[in-house]
Amino acid sequence: MFLETKGLTKQFGGLTAVNQFDMHVNKGEIVGLIGPNGAGKTTLFNLITGVIRLTKGQIIFDGEDITGKKPHQVAELGISRTFQLNPLFADFTVLQNVSASFHLHPRSSLLDIYFNTKTYRRNEAYILEQSLEILGLVGLDKVKDELAKNLPHGYQKMLGIARALAVKPKLLLLDEPIAGMNPDEIEFTMTGIEKTKQQGTTIVVVEHNMRIMDLCDRVVVINFGQKIAEGLPKEVRENKEVTRAYFGDEHVT
Amino acid sequence: MAKPAVLAGLVVIIALLPVLVSSHYIWHILILTFIYIIAAVSLRTITISGQFPLAHAAFMGIGAYLAGMASKWLGWSPWLTIPSAALVTMGIGMLIGYPFARLRALYYAMGSLFFGIGVIYMVYAGGTWTGGYAGLVGIGPMLGGSKIAHYYFFLGLALLSTLALYRFEFSRIGTTLKAIAQSHLVASSVGINEGWYRVLAVGMGCFFAGLAGAGYAHYNTVLSPASFNFMATLWLVMYVLIGGIESFAGPIIGTAILVLLPEFARDLKEYSPYISAGILLIVVYLMPRGLVSLPKLVMLWYSERKKGKKIAHVSGN
Repeated sequence: MFLETKGLTKQFGGLTAVNQFDMHVNKGEIVGLIGPNGAGKTTLFNLITGVIRLTKGQIIFDGEDITGKKPHQVAELGISRTFQLNPLFADFTVLQNVSASFHLHPRSSLLDIYFNTKTYRRNEAYILEQSLEILGLVGLDKVKDELAKNLPHGYQKMLGIARALAVKPKLLLLDEPIAGMNPDEIEFTMTGIEKTKQQGTTIVVVEHNMRIMDLCDRVVVINFGQKIAEGLPKEVRENKEVTRAYFGDEHVT
Repeated sequence: MAKPAVLAGLVVIIALLPVLVSSHYIWHILILTFIYIIAAVSLRTITISGQFPLAHAAFMGIGAYLAGMASKWLGWSPWLTIPSAALVTMGIGMLIGYPFARLRALYYAMGSLFFGIGVIYMVYAGGTWTGGYAGLVGIGPMLGGSKIAHYYFFLGLALLSTLALYRFEFSRIGTTLKAIAQSHLVASSVGINEGWYRVLAVGMGCFFAGLAGAGYAHYNTVLSPASFNFMATLWLVMYVLIGGIESFAGPIIGTAILVLLPEFARDLKEYSPYISAGILLIVVYLMPRGLVSLPKLVMLWYSERKKGKKIAHVSGN
């Protein structure tokens, strides 16, 4: 198992946002994490990436216990993510957003950077080349010199993914990548996610839009912080628990 | 752009100034300007990481008092006290900066403010060691006490410090700091150790604040805690804000204007806080990017005016 959560619990005061959550992701899969608003999906991402501390439980990634690690340490191990509200380096250009995100691979030492050594210049040249390649992949190469804050919503979302790819992740966590996008953008993003998977990246995707299920190898459904169903997309679609969570009792036939 | 040429010309004029103007008083004012430029630019280095400390003069004071005390009580040479005081100030800055790196916005401002006040109280409490309320006297002079030698020493120090901080800001380190300032959430998600980088910025800023303070100690040979209190910090903040917080030249221009201006209008000197507050308001309303943007704004205004005239001319026919 590539990623495994065991008895993951997060309490905010009296509210249990995530309750005894067990989940696993196999290498090379795309796993969909779906559930109604407030079900705890984003909290789960924040727990895995160390943005918030968990109350109880354990997270294992690639054979290593990553419980309690800080966000930057989690990124160092190869987990990167996008954010639902999609914060960006707003005053940087698109290209700077991606190149600034190349912090880990390659990594120049502070002295190399400060004294502008050969190693540093070589690394920067490599980063520039890689950044342009990623921007090409997500279709942002033509707006690379625009300020990130001036981009339309769909482009900003793609930039979020581009930035996450700069970490060269083994596991990519996407938080509502197609929310608020138009059909063309959705099509484009889904193709991009598929391509990323083919390059060997494991992906967990949180989404409301059921279109995303087409991409998923497996789907996990969460409601009120608990797992209520898990399986192939087809199985989950037909699951009564899931229909009840989304539409209420009266719609269950 | 002819920017480097203008810059080089300016440096040459400043370097030749003592030859043209032989007023010790003017030299003195310019020496102070050089010292405060180092302090203001080093404050900028911290602000680009999204931290806005209200204790920078206190760090200058730490450097000044460390150098002064090492000189007076241990008899160290200025060539030893100045670099070592800067290094120790850097260490103290990083030590304090570590817990502070978790604070944001107002909490950071309040925390650093009280730290700065605490430093001054420690000086007061230091008795004979620090000179207390009366101030520290008897610090060893340097460069044989020659004013002109001091002028070139501090001009050189300001140039070197500014270059060192420029290199810091416009390397990947500066980019990383600016990224953290824009979104620490995103920055840490791509593997940036946000806390360490913030501490690094504080360390770099404090090194040069300490350097400026230590240099000041040996130049003045007398230290008073009032030179490093909260008001002094506010002045440094004003230099950065009025000059322009978005550009590297901002604090340099802000310092030059705010230190020199009161000297050219000495009758108004006691009103200088009001005048500075007035300048701040004018800057905020008319040039939110600070005084640095003035030439650009004037050029823009001029070309608009020209265009306007042309249109008036055409419609007049």
